[in-house]
Amino acid sequence: MHPLTLTWRGAVAAAIGAATVGLRAGPTTPAAPAKPAPVAATASDTLREPPTLHSVSRVPGVVEVELTAAPARLRLLPGGPLVNVYAYNGSIPGPTLDVHEGDSVVIHFHNRLPDTTTVHCHGLHFPAAEDGSPLMPIAPGQSYDYAFRVPRGWAGTYWYHPHVDRKTTFQVAMGLFGAIIIRAPHDPLAARHIPEKLLVLSDNRFDSAGAIAFPDPTSVQAEIDLENGREGNVLFVNGQVMPTIPIRRGQVQLWRIVNASASRVYRLSLTNQPLVHVGSDGGLFEHPLEEHDLLLANSGRVEVLVRGTGAAGSEAVLQDLPYDRYMPQTRPDDWDSTRTLLSLRATGTPMVRPVAIPTELRAIPPIDTTHVAAHRVIVMSQGLIDGKRMDMHRVDIRARLGTTEIWEIQNVVGMDHPFHLHGFHFQVLDRDGVSEPYRSWQDLINVPKHSSVRIVVHFDDFPGEWMYHCHILDHEDEGMMGILELTN
Amino acid sequence: MSGWRGRSAVAVLAAVILPIMALAAAHAVRRDSGRATAWPGETTADTIAHGRFIVVTHDCNGCHGGIDPASDGWLAGETTPDMQFMIGPCYLTPGAKPCFHTHPRNLTPDNQTGLGRFTERQIFNALRYGLRPEETPDVTITSMTPGEGNFPLHPRYLAAPMPWMAWRFMPDGDLWSVAAYLKRGLKPVHNLVQESEGPPDFWASAYTPDKIGAYPGPAFPTKNEQAPN
Repeated sequence: MHPLTLTWRGAVAAAIGAATVGLRAGPTTPAAPAKPAPVAATASDTLREPPTLHSVSRVPGVVEVELTAAPARLRLLPGGPLVNVYAYNGSIPGPTLDVHEGDSVVIHFHNRLPDTTTVHCHGLHFPAAEDGSPLMPIAPGQSYDYAFRVPRGWAGTYWYHPHVDRKTTFQVAMGLFGAIIIRAPHDPLAARHIPEKLLVLSDNRFDSAGAIAFPDPTSVQAEIDLENGREGNVLFVNGQVMPTIPIRRGQVQLWRIVNASASRVYRLSLTNQPLVHVGSDGGLFEHPLEEHDLLLANSGRVEVLVRGTGAAGSEAVLQDLPYDRYMPQTRPDDWDSTRTLLSLRATGTPMVRPVAIPTELRAIPPIDTTHVAAHRVIVMSQGLIDGKRMDMHRVDIRARLGTTEIWEIQNVVGMDHPFHLHGFHFQVLDRDGVSEPYRSWQDLINVPKHSSVRIVVHFDDFPGEWMYHCHILDHEDEGMMGILELTN
Repeated sequence: MSGWRGRSAVAVLAAVILPIMALAAAHAVRRDSGRATAWPGETTADTIAHGRFIVVTHDCNGCHGGIDPASDGWLAGETTPDMQFMIGPCYLTPGAKPCFHTHPRNLTPDNQTGLGRFTERQIFNALRYGLRPEETPDVTITSMTPGEGNFPLHPRYLAAPMPWMAWRFMPDGDLWSVAAYLKRGLKPVHNLVQESEGPPDFWASAYTPDKIGAYPGPAFPTKNEQAPN
């Protein structure tokens, strides 16, 4: 028999084998802690927001909080068992850090995990030593005070999560993520008393016993996870499954939405109205944009306004519409199904006086590109940046403080890669040569399969080493990351 | 439509690829040069010409496009649906599963749709080890054991029917020459080819030594061969 015939048959056999390999849960959950701290989660509950980190400081403008990462036992699935998790201050999502521009923040962090970890405040602009990158691991039993000042102009919705070498996927899957809200002194939405909701989107995968499941490293599912990033089979909003948000007729609500999923990309849509898109990673746009649906890549944030338009008792659903970000070899069979996230229910309470949505939100000056110190091309292939895996002892890009650079980020493969730069906001210039229709501040940009995006970034402050990487956490763990060194 | 392209994939395999593989295997027995993968010397016009000679004589264009180097679409990848392959039992029984449509990729050095962003070493590693350049770092590979000597722990292989498992037996210099011709001897053509389908392990369980033979190949003569008198 000819080798190719064998190969061909072998390939078919492999494919058949793959189709029959189901999810295999590995025994990777940590040992149970002593004291259970159950959190009830039942379908159709009213949305609850994560607790807010309490500041122990009485000094105005100083926020001083305690944050502990530790094993816990929580009930993640409605009616499900208590399962082993990792949690910040005992809750999933972790408590929200709610601060103002200009605040001085101290996070007294304690690692009570059996693992090395970090706290990476995703999207913030501060000294490199506070970034919680893999270069600054916190060992089990150790503590670290993350201290920084919240910069002006940084108001928006952010999040924090571990960013530890090769274990970020695992630690986020185990429950380590929480939101950060930065408030501006003059906020056009707060000025109109528009109520807000925080929605932290996450997903997780469970085995038949209801425990968090990870594949056997030798299984086909492990290969699929490596390619797609680990996606869950249950979708959560603030740790709840399909919660309800009540809304009065006429009311306008601001939803701050964080995608804290390790790899799931959401294409968000409301069934009864367009979304009024008012902000992204780095806060408000200049003007609101009405969109039928919007793409929220993993680790990205959006701020949207929704209206109470329906009759009392009527319901709209926040959906995750199909979006094909995958390689055909590993595209999930159910990729084209629509998923539901939460229900927006019009209450019977009397209508409120409609709030006018402002047409001007704030000014976002374009980054000055008169003097561009460097034009760089950054190539993302599968698990690699510029053909390389991350090396913690290698600097990939050297740049100078006070300069502006334009980076063309090319994705040369058949799946999307969301690109994240630590420490700095950037603006998108164009995508595949098409000018970006509006300005925004981003720390993440999804680069679709076989496409390119040009961004401009100004390095105004903070020397040191900064990561840039694909934010599919499995890819990040595999080393799809580079190091930017900024020097004076 | 010219040549064999309108024929069935099976016919193509039988008529074109299999004899080439047999030739390549015979070639390998004579000139197998082991596993060294360092580029042996400077690229010259001769290198490019030699790469071109191998590309032409190995019918790379038979799948990847074009009739000869002067023709449109030379090595620019799939441009019409009949250049696709159907891999799996669906070929004989329509509707049978699995059924993978694979697409000859653009081999020209276009940055976004071709090989422009991959290095000659990544192309070498594709030809020698069958490893997809988009997932294999730009490194010298010194082992074929997953996880050792820069061989990926989770190897991802080129889609069938790319016959790298025969062409890997070409001497290093020949493979480097092919890489040099593709990267430097061709003009880039922008032609986005759809990603090939395949099993989720990217053919890893199909391309094991018991199924495709060992590399380097067995010494001559084997039990099936004899030394001439």
